[in-house]
Amino acid sequence: MNLPTSFFGWVGLLLDKYGSLFLQGTEMTLLISLTGTVIGFLIGLLVAILRTVPTSRRTVMPVKVLKKLLNLILSIYIEVFRGTPMIVQAMVIYYGAMMAGIIGRGTSVPMVAIFIVSINTGAYMAEIIRGGIISVDKGQKEAAHAIGMTHWQSMVNVVLPQAVRNIMPSIGNEFVVNIKDSSVLNVIAVSELFFMSKSAAGTYARYFEAFAITAVIYLILTFTVTRILRMVERKMDGSSSYTILGSQTDSKSAITLPKVKGRT
Amino acid sequence: MQINTPVLEISHLMKRFGDNVVLSDISFTIGEGDVTCIIGASGSGKSTLLRCINFLEEPTAGNILFHGKDAETEWKRAEYHAKVGMVFQSFNLFNNLSVLDNCNSGQIRVLKRDKKASTEKSLMYLDKVGMAPYQNARPAQLSGGQKQRVAIARALAMDPEVLLFDEPTSALDPEMVGEVLAVMRDLAIGGLTMLIVTHEMSFAREVCSRVIFMDQGLIAEDGKPEEIFTQPKQARTREFLSRVLAR
Repeated sequence: MNLPTSFFGWVGLLLDKYGSLFLQGTEMTLLISLTGTVIGFLIGLLVAILRTVPTSRRTVMPVKVLKKLLNLILSIYIEVFRGTPMIVQAMVIYYGAMMAGIIGRGTSVPMVAIFIVSINTGAYMAEIIRGGIISVDKGQKEAAHAIGMTHWQSMVNVVLPQAVRNIMPSIGNEFVVNIKDSSVLNVIAVSELFFMSKSAAGTYARYFEAFAITAVIYLILTFTVTRILRMVERKMDGSSSYTILGSQTDSKSAITLPKVKGRT
Repeated sequence: MQINTPVLEISHLMKRFGDNVVLSDISFTIGEGDVTCIIGASGSGKSTLLRCINFLEEPTAGNILFHGKDAETEWKRAEYHAKVGMVFQSFNLFNNLSVLDNCNSGQIRVLKRDKKASTEKSLMYLDKVGMAPYQNARPAQLSGGQKQRVAIARALAMDPEVLLFDEPTSALDPEMVGEVLAVMRDLAIGGLTMLIVTHEMSFAREVCSRVIFMDQGLIAEDGKPEEIFTQPKQARTREFLSRVLAR
């Protein structure tokens, strides 16, 4: 067999022989990062809602203690998962769970990978969402309470939709980071893009060419995701115009202001 | 002075922020259909009083009775809030919702009305404040006066028994003050029980049935508007009025 002599020759050969490996790896990377980001986002929302539950002078002691304890646990979770590299978390969780017998040979590694990315992203998201909640004017929450909404209702209906809009750029960042950083999960042999690229490169020992392909794939993924998120952001902003309707309850009162002194 | 059936009874209300005593000892009763204006200098505790009545601030001590039952312990918080509405200085319309959804949200989430009934009610009140044509607009697309009228419609849609107004015209351009006051005047004539913190002295004088003058966290004077504005008993009331009316 004649081996290629040029860069593009090698790229062509690798794509021809191992195209399906790259494709599978890409799929797995997308699956892990997308699911991980979504679940991480949900974890972040939950943590942020729980951490902002208010207490009053009428709150009974056991509830106050419970809340303090919960806050402590959540803080530890955030500190631990933000304070250690994901590659280390992957090793500790994977081999720890293996030792404890929670996972065995039959367990699907992608599930473990999704779990790791989710829980890692959740820690970051919790802080991002907390920032988003702070960015929403306090009056919004007060108005929600003033018409009788509970903490949960005001969060879900009023505060979080605005907070999430404000932090969309950061959420996009997290997604992009996850696409790239899920590559560290190759240490637990999950068949994501980086892992598959290593396999593709190995046979002919053409690391440069194989990883050039990998780099381009990562770039395409992140670029596409960024574009899509920008579109979502524009969608969230809604239309910049509105239509003035005639009154639907009383035709006489259409587009009239109440009587004001000095205006006839 | 004719006493109406008491609706809100505030007794020995106290509010402290750290060492800073904002409300020392406030007691007064509001009767059904009363339109009460609270006036006073900045920092006299007017807004804090209103915020305490609606539990946006937690009172340090004292009780608030609503229909004879303790608002803090005997009323369900959501129910109390639905019956005692609030209009804010900075409007606080929900920025993520349209004008109509602003009015619907409380009815649907808190009063558990269905969408059709809520919309009907919302449109009725939006119509009343002249904002029905703007039902699809977002708060950011409205002027201050329009926002405040929507905020009033939102509060009214909950069918409140009492409406608290926290300086409803203070954040408005002068030309928009009139349209909001006109709506409030209509509500007063309609018999809604209102407690209004305001700097609009002529409005307090014309529309309110009772004026409370607050000074340094206490009620300094309490009476009919004609008494307070023409022959105030307290020196500090006179001093305050001469300052604000001289403008």
